[in-house]
Amino acid sequence: MASVTAPIGGETRTIPAPSLRISDYLRWSVDHKIIGVQYMVTAFFFFLVGGALAMLIRWELLTPNLDLMANGTDYNSLFTMHGTVMIFLWIIPMMAGFGNYLVPLMLGAKDMAFPWLNAFAFWLIPPAGVLLFAGYLVGAPEAGWTSYPPLSTLFSQDGQTLWAMALHLLGISSILGAINFIVTVRNMRPEGMGYWQMPLFVWAVLATSIIQVLATPFLTGALTLLILDRVAGTSFFNPAGGGDVLLWQNVFWFYSHPAVYIMVLPGFGMASEVLAVHARKPVFGYRAIALSSMAIALIGFTVWAHHMFTSLQPELRIPFMITSMIIAVPTGIKIFSWLGTLWGGKIRFTSAMLFGLGFLSMFVIGGISGVMLAAVPVDIHVHDTYFVVSHFHFVLYGGSVFLIFAGLYHWFPKITGRMLDEGMGKVHFVLTYLGFFFTFFPQHIAGMMGMPRRIAVYDPMYTDINRLISFASFVLGISTFVLVYNIIRSLAVGKRVGANPWRALTMEWATTSPPPAYNFMGDPVPFEDPYGYGTEESQAYLDAVDRRFPPPPPERRASAPQPQGTGD
Amino acid sequence: MQRDVAEQNLSRAELQDLRNKRSGLAIFQMSWILVFVCLIIVNWQLRWSQPSWPPPGIEPPPVVLPTVATIGILVSIWFVRRAVRAIKNDEQAAFLANWRIALVLGIVFVLIMGYEWFSIPYSGIYSDVFRLMTGFHAVHALAIAVFMGMIRRGARAGQYGPTNFWPVEGAAGLWYFVIFAWMLFYVVLYWI
Repeated sequence: MASVTAPIGGETRTIPAPSLRISDYLRWSVDHKIIGVQYMVTAFFFFLVGGALAMLIRWELLTPNLDLMANGTDYNSLFTMHGTVMIFLWIIPMMAGFGNYLVPLMLGAKDMAFPWLNAFAFWLIPPAGVLLFAGYLVGAPEAGWTSYPPLSTLFSQDGQTLWAMALHLLGISSILGAINFIVTVRNMRPEGMGYWQMPLFVWAVLATSIIQVLATPFLTGALTLLILDRVAGTSFFNPAGGGDVLLWQNVFWFYSHPAVYIMVLPGFGMASEVLAVHARKPVFGYRAIALSSMAIALIGFTVWAHHMFTSLQPELRIPFMITSMIIAVPTGIKIFSWLGTLWGGKIRFTSAMLFGLGFLSMFVIGGISGVMLAAVPVDIHVHDTYFVVSHFHFVLYGGSVFLIFAGLYHWFPKITGRMLDEGMGKVHFVLTYLGFFFTFFPQHIAGMMGMPRRIAVYDPMYTDINRLISFASFVLGISTFVLVYNIIRSLAVGKRVGANPWRALTMEWATTSPPPAYNFMGDPVPFEDPYGYGTEESQAYLDAVDRRFPPPPPERRASAPQPQGTGD
Repeated sequence: MQRDVAEQNLSRAELQDLRNKRSGLAIFQMSWILVFVCLIIVNWQLRWSQPSWPPPGIEPPPVVLPTVATIGILVSIWFVRRAVRAIKNDEQAAFLANWRIALVLGIVFVLIMGYEWFSIPYSGIYSDVFRLMTGFHAVHALAIAVFMGMIRRGARAGQYGPTNFWPVEGAAGLWYFVIFAWMLFYVVLYWI
């Protein structure tokens, strides 16, 4: 059992525990771990901003009349900014942050393939955020995150141009990051790790990156046309000048539907890691999960026009309905594989696991409402109602964001060397779960009753249900501060951990927490099966990791850096 | 093969680095060409919404000058390939001679397409989409021609050789990309 005796290379020198200061995270660095944290912190900041905008939306909707906003246009700007921030500045960069931090570690690599490019891709994001919010100074965009012309060309104010420029930067950042991931996964796997031995998170990042390099160029094209229509007097989207108003919808959704999978596939990868580790069981259907990521990436390119059922030529509706229903199949394969993973496992109800389980239950609801919406008659009936709003929040919050939280609780000890407080984590979970469910589930009902989305003034018959939704959303908003407090407190006084607090088999756990510069001493050797929990070999491997990186002594505040990472 | 001879001079880490850069460039080419494909789709969707293309009463631009420019950059492929081979064999003079010819052909292309861009009369959506596509391509051609000029300056200072040929190979890869993208646009704009 060579993999047991030499889990992390043969070197026995002491690895100095890295002591990073806050200033290290505020400047240009090409270390993928610093860049990963930069992505995550930046994205989390925008999560708080986008969340505050959501609270304003729900405050406005407490009553049927205008109360918080001066007029409907202000409300339009509000939900436009909320959607744009949450999608482009929170979920996508957050997933990129996890990918940056974890992929090289999981591959036993010293860094990404292109460290400089990696830093460059990150540093495009803060200016994009500034550009987007600068829109408020010149007249905020008000055409929704989808920015359909003619709203976005003839009516929206100058901030719409800045919106398009910000998205341009984010798109380029996304493409450069994805190129980096693909090359890293393809070329930098260690000896003994073929594609079928890669952790499922790496598979998911690979599938995501393939979507990014193939879909994001279409966003670039669409935004270029939008900017030209707004500032150069062209009329690509203006039928009066010979243009075509549906052109934007086609090109935009050709990017933005695959972008849904850009947002959720890395989360699926995290789900596979978290569920297997905390259920102490091999992942059920490893190949099925890996290949279904690829299938989703592929089929994701054939479904875009289901966003346009009401504007599409009728004869094209059925083909897109069929493809949209087909894409539920690989997603279902994943759900059943995760259930199979949990079945009979020794489940530890950690905060990470709770969010993983919360994801499973909530995402299934979002998936089912997705299949409902894929059916043309249902879609035409509930089109542009709160039913749609509910569906995509179940997918994006119940899916991506729950998994981001699961990932945070799971990998926080690796990133910082300290645990997040589990008690507060559970409070966070309960508040989030209940707040989320009662915010978004009633929106199905409001939508079925006919309440349109994107309106500030609504029929008084929807008052009660909107009160319920708003109060629940305030609970959801408050729950985030439990997490923020937990993070700040744990950074200072959280329980110190060794290399592998969860006893996980993937390679990021076979080095100190946090890992040193260049991650590993020598060339690390991966365990033969990244999910081979419950076997004697895996026990021996995990014990060897623990011996090599012994857990720190129990005292909480040590004045000197912990002597982690000494040799056997 | 001469390429292999050049790579024998590299260490294991340098070879890995070269492999990464080649993969990265290839993926970038595959990805970024889709922006050009997107503009072709835009062209087609706009054309389908018109009764004829060009719309009635509008003359298509003459094809002779752009064809000359196109032949020019196609010929430049041959010189670029010779230049890349020369630098891998440390033949500095041969590199500079071939690279200079390719660069001149590239500049001639940019000048001709610039003339085309300015000379097409405004005719609504037809000239809009023509200027969009030729302009978008010309920006790329110009940027990469400037990059090739910078490579030429570096080569005159003796910066490249059998162990450091990636900047030259990368610039060549970008130039091939510009030519490939133009071939797509040339066919769509002038022949379909």
